[in-house]
Amino acid sequence: MKRLQLQRWSSTVLSPRARTGNCLHQQLYTAKLRYQSTASSIQSESAPYDAIDVLEDPKLMSQVRRVHKHKSALAYPSPPVEAATRSAKLAALHARLYLPSRLPLQTLARTLVDASADENADFNNESLATLGHDLLTYYTTEHLLCNYPRLPLTVIFAAMYAYAGPKTLAAMAKEWGVEHAAMPGGEVDPGYLQFQRVEPGTDVEANSDLQSARPYAAQKNWRKTVTSKIFYDDEFGDQIKGVVSTGSGSGSGVTAELASATFVRAVMGAIYLHAGRPAAKRFFEQHFLSRHLNISELFNFSQPARDLARLCNRENFEPPVAKIISETGRKSRHPVFVVGIFSGQDKLGEGAGASLLEARERAALAALKGWYLYSPLNVRVPSSMEEEGAAPWKPVYVDLGEVIV
Amino acid sequence: MPVKGIRTVTAARNGVGAFILQCKRLDFHYCNFGGSSRGMLAFLTQTLPRFAKENPQIEIRVSPRHQKHPMIKGQYINGNEKSICVRNLEPEDILKKAMILKDASGDKLKRTKKPITSLNESVRGIWSPYHGDLRGV
Repeated sequence: MKRLQLQRWSSTVLSPRARTGNCLHQQLYTAKLRYQSTASSIQSESAPYDAIDVLEDPKLMSQVRRVHKHKSALAYPSPPVEAATRSAKLAALHARLYLPSRLPLQTLARTLVDASADENADFNNESLATLGHDLLTYYTTEHLLCNYPRLPLTVIFAAMYAYAGPKTLAAMAKEWGVEHAAMPGGEVDPGYLQFQRVEPGTDVEANSDLQSARPYAAQKNWRKTVTSKIFYDDEFGDQIKGVVSTGSGSGSGVTAELASATFVRAVMGAIYLHAGRPAAKRFFEQHFLSRHLNISELFNFSQPARDLARLCNRENFEPPVAKIISETGRKSRHPVFVVGIFSGQDKLGEGAGASLLEARERAALAALKGWYLYSPLNVRVPSSMEEEGAAPWKPVYVDLGEVIV
Repeated sequence: MPVKGIRTVTAARNGVGAFILQCKRLDFHYCNFGGSSRGMLAFLTQTLPRFAKENPQIEIRVSPRHQKHPMIKGQYINGNEKSICVRNLEPEDILKKAMILKDASGDKLKRTKKPITSLNESVRGIWSPYHGDLRGV
C-alpha cells in the first residue's frame, strides 16, 4: 500500500491561506488578518486591539498594554503564533515527549488551546482532537479485539475506557507535566494548557443535552441493551453527548479533565498530520499501549455458575460439575474448601473458599475468565497492513461472542 | 446482564514505552555582588548553555537573588520541588549538583527494601497449603 503524502495535508494546519476560510470570516477580519504561521507574512503592528477591550477601565487597559512588550499578544483570546517559538515551556514539552521534529512548535501550541479558550476553529485544538480521538479509538479497538477476541462487550467498553477514556488521558497530560493556565488569554505563555474553567457549583452532568439517535432516548429508565450500545452510543458504551457547548460562546467552560483529554487527543492528531501514520502509531504504542492494565480485573459476574453452564452448553462441552478437590476444618471456625469445576475429564477451573458455595463460585469464575481471556499468539492488527512491504493478511480469530443468558 | 465491566484507569509505567524525564524545570539563582556566587556566575556563562542544549526537556530559568547564596531549584512533574544551595562551589561541582536535580524523580528519598517492585502478579502465586505435594498426617 502506498503511503499518502501527509506533508501536503498538514500544510493546511499552518498555511496562512487557510486562515481566510469562509466569507463570514473574511468580513469579520478584513482589517486584521490573523495568521496561523509566521512563515509568509508577519502580523502587522497596526492591528487594532479592540478584541480584548472587554475590560472597561481604560486606565487599567493602558497599563496592561504598557506592561506587555509584545502588544500583538493582547489582540486575540489565545497566544499569537510567534509566541510559540519564544516559549521555553513549549520547547521543553516538545522535547520531553520526544515529538518528531517535523511537528512544529506552533502546532504544539495550538493543541494546548481548548475550544473554550479560543472559539476560532482555526486556532483551537478541536479539529486536531477529533482526528486524534478517531485514531486513538481505532488503534485501541483493533488491539483489544485482535488480542482478546472472546471478551464480552461490556468488558471491551471498560477496557476502551481504561486505555483511551478521558480519565486516563487527563492522567497522561498530568504525567507529561502539562500545567493549566489560570485564565486563557493572548498574553499567557503558550506552554500552558488554556481553557475556560467551569463556574463553581455548576452541575457538569446536567447541562449536557444528550443527542442520541436511539429511539425513545428520552425514556431514561428504560433498559438499554448492550447490542444497542454498539449502534447508538460511543466507544465506551456511554450515551453520545450533544454538541459540546464550548464553541457556542455561551461562556460555559469545560472541566480540567475534559480539556486535558482533548489536548492529548490533539497531540495524537497533530503527530499524524505532520509526521505521518508510522509516527502516530509509534506514539500510540509508546504512550498508550505501554500502560499497565490487568484485563482480568475488569469482570463483574453476577452468576458465574449459570454463565458457565450456558457456555458449556453452547460449545457442546459436557455440563460442568463441581467437585471438592481438598478441604480442611469443615467443622472448625475457618474451613477451607478447594473446589474444581470439571467438564467430563477436563478441569475448567479451580477455586478456594470458606464455604462450598463460595469455592464453587470462585471456581466457575476462574473457568469463565480462562475462556474469555483467551489470547492468540503472534497477533497482527489490521493497521499493520498499512506498513510498506507488509506480509499478506491472515484473518484473525473471530469468536462467537459472550454467552447470552 | 451476565457480566459487567468495571471501569478503571491504566497505570503509567514510565520507561516501559516512552520515558518522561521527571525534572520539569531548573531555576538557577545567583547574586551579582556576593562572593559565594562567583562559581555560579562562571557556571552560568560557561557551562549552562551546553547543559541546556543537552537537556532540552528541562525548562531553565536564570534569575538574580540579591544578597543571597546561589541556589538551584528543581520543579518536578509530581509537583514537588527540590533545592540545593551551591554557595562557594566551583562550576564543575555546580554541574554535579544540577545533574543530581536533573536525575531525581521528585519523590522523597526512601529506602528500597525489596529489590523488585512490580505491578504484575507473581508468576508463582501465593503459597497454599492445599496444593502441591500433599502428605498424609
